[in-house]
Amino acid sequence: MVNPVLLIIIPLTGAFAIPLFGFISKYISKYISLISTMVMAVIVGSLIPKVINNPIIVMIGGFKPPFGINLVVSPLSLFFVGVISLLGFLVSIYAIKYIDDGDIDKYHLLFLLFITGATGVVLTGDIFNLFVFFEILCISSYALVAYNRDKDGVEAGIKYLIQGSVGSAFILIGIALLYGLCGSLNMADIASQIHSVNSPLLSLSLFLFLTGFGIEAAIFPLNGWLPDAHSSAPSTISAVLSGFAIEIGLYAVLRIVCTVFGATDILHFLAGLGIFTLLIGEISAFKQDDIKRLLAYSSIGQIGLILFAFSLGSPEGVAGGLFHILSHALSKGLLFLAAGYMIYKAGSREIGKMKGLGTRMPVTSFCFLIATFSLVGLPPFVGFPSKFIIIKSALSTNQGYFFVLVGAALLGTVIEISYFFKLLQNIFSKTGEDKVDEAPLSALIPIIIMALIILAVGVYPEIVSRFLHLASANFMDRMGYINNILGAL
Amino acid sequence: MEFIENYLYYIASFGLILIGLYIMLVKDNLIKIIIGLSIIDTGVNILIISMGYLKKGTAPIFSRESLLPSRMVDPVPQALVLTAIVIGVAILALALTLAIVLYRHYGTLNVRKIRDLKW
Repeated sequence: MVNPVLLIIIPLTGAFAIPLFGFISKYISKYISLISTMVMAVIVGSLIPKVINNPIIVMIGGFKPPFGINLVVSPLSLFFVGVISLLGFLVSIYAIKYIDDGDIDKYHLLFLLFITGATGVVLTGDIFNLFVFFEILCISSYALVAYNRDKDGVEAGIKYLIQGSVGSAFILIGIALLYGLCGSLNMADIASQIHSVNSPLLSLSLFLFLTGFGIEAAIFPLNGWLPDAHSSAPSTISAVLSGFAIEIGLYAVLRIVCTVFGATDILHFLAGLGIFTLLIGEISAFKQDDIKRLLAYSSIGQIGLILFAFSLGSPEGVAGGLFHILSHALSKGLLFLAAGYMIYKAGSREIGKMKGLGTRMPVTSFCFLIATFSLVGLPPFVGFPSKFIIIKSALSTNQGYFFVLVGAALLGTVIEISYFFKLLQNIFSKTGEDKVDEAPLSALIPIIIMALIILAVGVYPEIVSRFLHLASANFMDRMGYINNILGAL
Repeated sequence: MEFIENYLYYIASFGLILIGLYIMLVKDNLIKIIIGLSIIDTGVNILIISMGYLKKGTAPIFSRESLLPSRMVDPVPQALVLTAIVIGVAILALALTLAIVLYRHYGTLNVRKIRDLKW
C-alpha cells in the first residue's frame, strides 16, 4: 500500500528540490510542480478504494495516539486532497506559459509549499499540527498574492498578512487554552474529554478558533482581505485561492466546531452567518466593473452557501456542501484561469473593455460560459446537482428558520445570475473585429479539461455523489472518529 | 496577593496580547502595526509556556534518580513555542519585506494614505 504520508512529503520535497535544480535552470521548476501534483493525484486515486471501508490512521514515528502526531486518511480528507491535487495539477499546466518572467523558481517553490500546507491541514489529526500546516498555507499565500510586486498586489498582500496573522495568533491562544484544559493536542483525544470540562475558558477558546479560522475561511465580517487578495494575485493563484484555500479554512472551522468541540448548538448561528455572507458577497459583486474583483466577491457568496450547507447538521447537507466545494473549485478555477488570458488579450480588467472577446477567443469564452452556467446552478452542469442537494436538504429539515434562509439563498442566486449575465453579455457582444486570437495551448488544455469535468459530473452526478455521502457520513460520525483514532492502540 | 502570584503569567500574557491588539488597531504607521503583531506573538508564547510551568520544576530529563516526574515541567508547550517562534519570525520577515516594497510604491508607510483598493 502507498503510504499516505507521501501526499505531504512529495510536494514538500518538490519545493525544496526547486532551489537545487535552480542551479541548472530555473525553468525546471515548472515541471517539478507539474510532476509533484500529478503524482499526488495518482496516489489519491490509488488510496480511494482502501479508505472506503475504514479510514487509515498513520502514526508518524510510531507513537500511538494520543501521543505523537497522527494523520487521518478518511474519505473526507481524501476528497479534499483530491480537489487540491487535481486543481493544483491543472493550474501547474496553465502556469507553464502564464508565469513566464520574473522569479519563476520562487513562484513554484511557494506554490508547492501552498499545496503542502493545504494537504497537511486536511490530513492531520493533531490540533497543533493543523496550526503549523495552516501557517504554511497562509504564509505562502501571503507571498504569492504579492508575487507580481506591483502596487495592488503588495497592498493586498500586506492587508491579507496583517489580518491573517492576527487570526493565527487567535488560533494559537485557542490551542493554548484547550491544551491547558484538556492536556492533549490530539483532536480525537480532546473531543473525547471535552464534555467533562466545565470552564468558561472553553467558550473563549471556541470563539478564538472561530475567529482565527474564520478569517481564512472568509466568513463575514472577517473577509475584508479577500476581494483585494484574490483580485490582485496572479490568475493562477486566484484560481487556487478561490478554488480550495478558503474551503480549507472552512474545513478547519467545521472540524473544530463539529468534531473537537461537538458544539452543534452554534450551527444555527453559523447557518445564518453563511447566508449573510452569501448576500453580502453577491450584492457587492453586482456593482463591480473589474472582472477579477467580481469573481472574488462571487467566491465570498459561494463560501457562504457552503457554510450554510455544512451548518444544516445533516449528512445530506454536508454531502451537498462537499459537492458544492467540488463544483466551486472547478467552476471558479476555470473562470479565474480563463479570465487570466482574457484580461491579457483585452488589455484591461474592466468588464466594459471585454466586448468582442467571444469571437476573438471562441474556446476560452465558451468554457467561461460553461463555468458561469455551472456556478449559477443551471443543468446539466455540476453546479446544478450541488445546489439542488443543498436546497433539498435544507427544506427537509422542516424548520421555519431554514426555510427563510433558503429563500435568501435563492435571492442571492438571482443576483448572481444577473451580474454573470451582464458579464457574458459584454464578452459575447459583437464589435466587428473577428480575428481569432486564442490563448496558448498550455492554457487551453486545463480550461477544456475543467469544462469537460464540469459537464461530465453534471450529467452523471453519481460518479462522485456516492463517495461524497460516504465522506459526509464519516464527517458527521463524531464518536466513530474518536474511537477510530484512540482505538488504534 | 496570592491571586497575582498564581495568575501573574496569565495577566502578563493577556496584557501583552491586548497591548499588541491596541497598537494594531490604533496606529497608522505600518512598522508600528508590525511591531504590534510581534508583541501579540510574544504574549501568546508566554501564555503557552505558562500552561506547562511549574514553580521550581526541573527539566523533564531523568538525569538523577531523585528527580520525580511530578516535579518536572511539561515539555510539550516548550516544543510548541519553539515552533510558534519560528512561524512568528517568518511572518515578521515577510511583513517587513512587503513594507519595504510598499514604501517604494507609495513613498509612505501611513496606512491611511495607502488605500487604492476598496470594497
